[in-house]
Amino acid sequence: MAVNYIPRRFNIVRDKERCIECGCCVRQCSNECHYFEAGGTTVLADSTNCVACHRCVDLCPTSALRIEKHVCDYRENANWTPQYQQEICRQAASGGTLLSGMGNPKPYPIYWDKILLNASQVTNPSIDPLREPMEIRTILGRKPEKLTVERKGKAITKMPPQVVVETPILFSAMSFGSISLNAQKSLAMAAQNLGTLFNTGEGGLHPDLEPYTDRAIVQVASGRFGVHKDYLNSARIVEIKIGQGAKPGIGGHLPGEKVNVEVSNARMIPEGSDAISPAPHHDIYSIEDLRQLIWSIKQATGNQKPVSVKIAAVHNVAAIVSGCARAGADIIAIDGFRGGTGAAPTRIRDNVGIPIELALAAADSRLREEGIRSQISLIAAGSFRCSADIVKAIALGADACYCASAPLIAMGCHMCQTCNTGKCNWGIATQRPELTKRLNPDIMHERVENLITAWNHEIKEIMGGMGINSVDSLRGNRLMLRGIGLSDRELAILGIKHAGE
Amino acid sequence: MKRVYAKEELCLNCRLCEVYCKTAHSASKDVLKANKYETPAPVSRVTVYGDKLRSAAVNCRHCENPKCVQACITGAMTKDPATGIVAVDEHKCIGCMTCLAVCPYGCITTGRFAIKCDLCRGETEPACVKNCPNRALVYTDLGGAQE
Amino acid sequence: MKYIIIGACAAGLACAEQIRKEDASGEITVFTKEAYLPYSRPSISYLLKGAVKEKDMYLRKPSYYAAKRIHFVRDTAITAIDTKNKTVKAGRKAYAYDKLCICTGSKPFVPPMKHVEGKSNVFCFLDLASAKAVKAAAKPHTRAVVIGAGLIGMKAAEGLSKICQSVDVVELAPRILPSILDQKSSKLVKNHVEKEGHIRFHLAQTVSEARSKGERISSVVLNSGEVLACDMLVIAVGVRPETALAEAAGLSVNRGILTDSKTMQTSQKDVYAAGDCTVSTDMLDGSKKIIALYPNAVYQGTVAGAQMAGGSQELGGCYAVNAIDFYGLRICTCGLINAAGEPYRDKVRHSGEAYKRLIFEDNRLVGFVLINASQNAGIYTNLIENQSDITALEQDIFDTPSLFMFDKAQREKRLKGAL
Repeated sequence: MAVNYIPRRFNIVRDKERCIECGCCVRQCSNECHYFEAGGTTVLADSTNCVACHRCVDLCPTSALRIEKHVCDYRENANWTPQYQQEICRQAASGGTLLSGMGNPKPYPIYWDKILLNASQVTNPSIDPLREPMEIRTILGRKPEKLTVERKGKAITKMPPQVVVETPILFSAMSFGSISLNAQKSLAMAAQNLGTLFNTGEGGLHPDLEPYTDRAIVQVASGRFGVHKDYLNSARIVEIKIGQGAKPGIGGHLPGEKVNVEVSNARMIPEGSDAISPAPHHDIYSIEDLRQLIWSIKQATGNQKPVSVKIAAVHNVAAIVSGCARAGADIIAIDGFRGGTGAAPTRIRDNVGIPIELALAAADSRLREEGIRSQISLIAAGSFRCSADIVKAIALGADACYCASAPLIAMGCHMCQTCNTGKCNWGIATQRPELTKRLNPDIMHERVENLITAWNHEIKEIMGGMGINSVDSLRGNRLMLRGIGLSDRELAILGIKHAGE
Repeated sequence: MKRVYAKEELCLNCRLCEVYCKTAHSASKDVLKANKYETPAPVSRVTVYGDKLRSAAVNCRHCENPKCVQACITGAMTKDPATGIVAVDEHKCIGCMTCLAVCPYGCITTGRFAIKCDLCRGETEPACVKNCPNRALVYTDLGGAQE
Repeated sequence: MKYIIIGACAAGLACAEQIRKEDASGEITVFTKEAYLPYSRPSISYLLKGAVKEKDMYLRKPSYYAAKRIHFVRDTAITAIDTKNKTVKAGRKAYAYDKLCICTGSKPFVPPMKHVEGKSNVFCFLDLASAKAVKAAAKPHTRAVVIGAGLIGMKAAEGLSKICQSVDVVELAPRILPSILDQKSSKLVKNHVEKEGHIRFHLAQTVSEARSKGERISSVVLNSGEVLACDMLVIAVGVRPETALAEAAGLSVNRGILTDSKTMQTSQKDVYAAGDCTVSTDMLDGSKKIIALYPNAVYQGTVAGAQMAGGSQELGGCYAVNAIDFYGLRICTCGLINAAGEPYRDKVRHSGEAYKRLIFEDNRLVGFVLINASQNAGIYTNLIENQSDITALEQDIFDTPSLFMFDKAQREKRLKGAL
C-alpha cells in the first residue's frame, strides 16, 4: 500500500452498546466507510473516507454513531499549517488542481457579524407584526425615470416588465447537473408555493420542471447550455451569468461521467461529453457587447422578460455594476466570494473575489451617485445564513437576496464540501440514481418552505422593531445599521456609522 | 381499505422499516431493547428486497380474497370483515406454513407460528410508514382490489 | 332455497360460507357424523403433542354460525341420498334439499392384517375423536407402532414420540412421505426425524400379523419376521375417498366422485361434491387424481357453494400444495414433485439441511420441494399457478424469490396491488 501522507480527518465512533447491527449505515454511506465484517453480521467502520456528512449519524435508529475530529497534531507552525501541508501532499500525489465544493471556508471577516441593527424606542414606535400589516412583497425590474399620470390618475408611462415576489428571498442558480433533479424540483415547488423564484443555473430546463417555469429564472451562461427560444420565453426572468462568487474569472466543468441522458437532453449536448463553460462569454468583450446580448434576449422574448446580469463580486465591482446598468440590464445580481458552488478550484474559491457586504454597499453607493439606482434591481448573493443577514443586506441596498446554501442545508446538506465528488449522500450534489432518490421533493419542498416562512416572520419582526412596516422603507436605509469593531475605511465603504455614533 | 404502499423510486434500502416493525412488535416497544436485548427477538413483518439501486419494502397486501386465509388449515388466519386486516391467531396457528406456501407476495415469515403484518392493529399509521425517512411507504386507500 | 351439505370439514364449511355470501336468505344445513363443530383436522397431531389446545382447534366461533345462519346437525350420519325425490336420509328421518353438496372426505384404509381386528389398542388417526383416543391411550411407558409413513402416519409418530417410550414406523414403500417428497429429500427428512425424534423406521415392510394378550395386541410381526413389541398400534396407511353414499345414490364414481371440472356438479343435477372425496384434474399435467389436501378442499367447496347459490365462480386449476414441519424441519412442496423424464427437468441445490429442488417443464415451473428453504415459497406457487414464463424473470430462480424477480411493470402492479 502506498503511503498516504495525510492523516484521516474524522473518526466514526460507534457505541457498541447501542449498535443493533441493522446495517442502515452500511447501506447509506456512499463513501463505503461502514461495512459488515466479512460473512458476519457485525458492523465495522473504516473512517479513512469519512467526510462528516452525517448521513449515518442522522439515520441511525439508536443514535449509536458519532463523528469526531481525528486529532493528529503536527509540530506547531503558524505558517505551514496542517492544511497547507496536506494540500501539498494531495497535489504531490495527484498532480492536479485542488477542487472543493461549497463556499469559501476561510476565516475572512464576515461583515454581517460586525453590523448591528437598530430598533425604535419611545419616538417612532416599533410595530407589532402580529397586529399590523407588514409588507415584504418585492417588485423586481427596471423602473421608469419618471411616472407620467393622466388627469384621472391613470399612469400613462409604459412600464417595463416587472416581477412580483412575495419575499425578498430568491433561490440562487444551481444547475441540473451540479445538483440533482429532485433537489431542483424541491426548490421549484417551494418557489411556487412561496411566491418567489428559483434559478435553473446554466444547465437548461428539465421537462419535469415545466409546471414551475412561471417561477423560474433561466440562465444564459458562457456555455449556452440548453438555451433556445422556448427556454427563454418560458421563464419569468432571463439571467446572463457573467461570473460566480465562488470562482470569479473561472468557467465551469461538468465531467462527462455526470452527463447522463437526462443531463444531456436538458443541456443539449451529447451524452457523456464534458460540459465546459468557458471562463468568458466569447461574444462579450465590452459593455457594448453585453448590451447586444441583453438586446438580443429582449428581442427573443418580445421585451416581456426582465433581463438580469449576474456578476461575481470583484475589486472594481461598483464600476462594473454601473456598466451593466447602462448596458440595459433590468436586474443585477452580485455574488460575493462566500457563495457556494458544486465544484471550484480551491485556490480560486479561497482567494479570489471580495465579500458581498462591501461589494453591495459600493455598488449601491455608486449607482446612487450616478443617479441610476432606481433603473435597476440589485440582488445580493454569497452566503446568507439567517434572516438578520438578509435584513442587513436590504438595508445596505439590496432589493432581494439569492439564497442557496441555506435551502440546501434545509434539504440535508451538512457542508461536507465534497460536492465535487458526486457522491453526495443526501442526494443533492449527485446524479447517481441510488443517491438522488434519497431526496424526496415531497418532503424537501416542505422543509424549504418552512425555512423561508420562518425567515419571513423574522424579517417582519426585525422590521417591526425598527418601526418599519414595508421592505421598501428598509431598502438602502443604512441609518438602521451600525458597525462594530470596524475601521473608518470599512465604515466608509459600507456607508454606515460606528456603533454609538 | 387503507393499505401500505411502497414506492420503489423512493426506497432508500435503509431498512429502518424493518427495525421499527420489530420495535412495534416487541415487548418493550423500545427501539434499542427490541433490536438488541430482547428474547425472543422480535421479527419484522416487513422485508426490504432489492439492492441499492432499486428496492422496496414488501408487506402484506391484505388481499380481498386472501389465499393465505383460504389455505389456512386451522382457521387461525382470518380477514376481519370490518377492518379488512388479515391476521393470525397465534393460539390457533400450528406453524405449518401452508399460508407461506401460497402467498403470492412473499409476505409471511416463519416462526413458531406464521408471522405477518397486522397493520399495527388500529394504529393510525403503521410503524413502518411512520418511520420511513423518505416517505417511500404510504398508508392510504387506493381503492384497488387485491388478488 | 334449501341447501344441504354432508360433511363439516374444510370443503363443507367453505361451501356453506360461500352459499351465505351469494344467498342471504337460503336455508343451510350441514350434517356431520362427528360430535364437533368444524375443527381443524390437520391440528390433531398438534393436539397429540400438546402444541395446541382443543378449544383452539375450532375453525370458527359458535356465534359465527348463528350470525351466518348456518345450521349444524351433529352426530348424524347421512345414510342415503334420494336424488329423485331430492331428499337425504339419516336413518328413518328424511330431509329435503334443493341443492346438495357431498363433502364426505376420506376414510382410512386398513390393510389386511391377521389378528388385528377388534383389539382394544388399535387406533386410526384421522379425526378429533380418534386423536383423543390415541392421546388418552399414549403413556410414557408405551411402545407405539405406527403403520404408514405418509403425512398422517408421520405426524402421528411425531406426536407420539413426545409422549411414548418408543415409536416404530412401518412403511410399505422404500422411503418415507412418498407422496410429497422425492427420494433424496425423503432421506434427508428421515435422517432428521431419526435424530430428533428417536423414531425407528422399518421401510419396505408390512405388518403381517399381530400377537395379542387377551383384548390387547402385545407385539406385531413384520413380513421380514422381525417382531416389534407393541402397546399401541396406530394404522395410518393412507386414506381413500369416502364414496359409499354417492355410489349408492348412483352417482358416477371412479376412485373418487366425478364432478364437472368447472362447476363441481356431479353426474346428477343439483348434487355437487367437493373436497377429498372427489377426483381432481391436476392442471399441471392434466391427470385425474385425488388431491386430498386442505387448500384444494376449501377451493372446491367455495366453488361448489357459489355454483349452488347461482354464483358465477368456476373452478380454475387444481394442484397440490403442501407445507408441514417435523421437529423444526420445514417442508414445503408443490406441483409435480415426482415428475421424471421428458418433458420434465429438475435442478437441485442442497447444502446441510437446506434443500431446494425445482421441477420445470419447458419454460415453466411445475413443482418444487423446499426443505428449510421455504422463504417466500408462495411466489414459486404463484409462478406455477400462473404458468409463468420463467425465462422472463429478472433474477436467478434459485435465489430467494421476491418481487424483484419480475420486471418493473409487474413489480409496480404487485406493489400497487392491481393483480
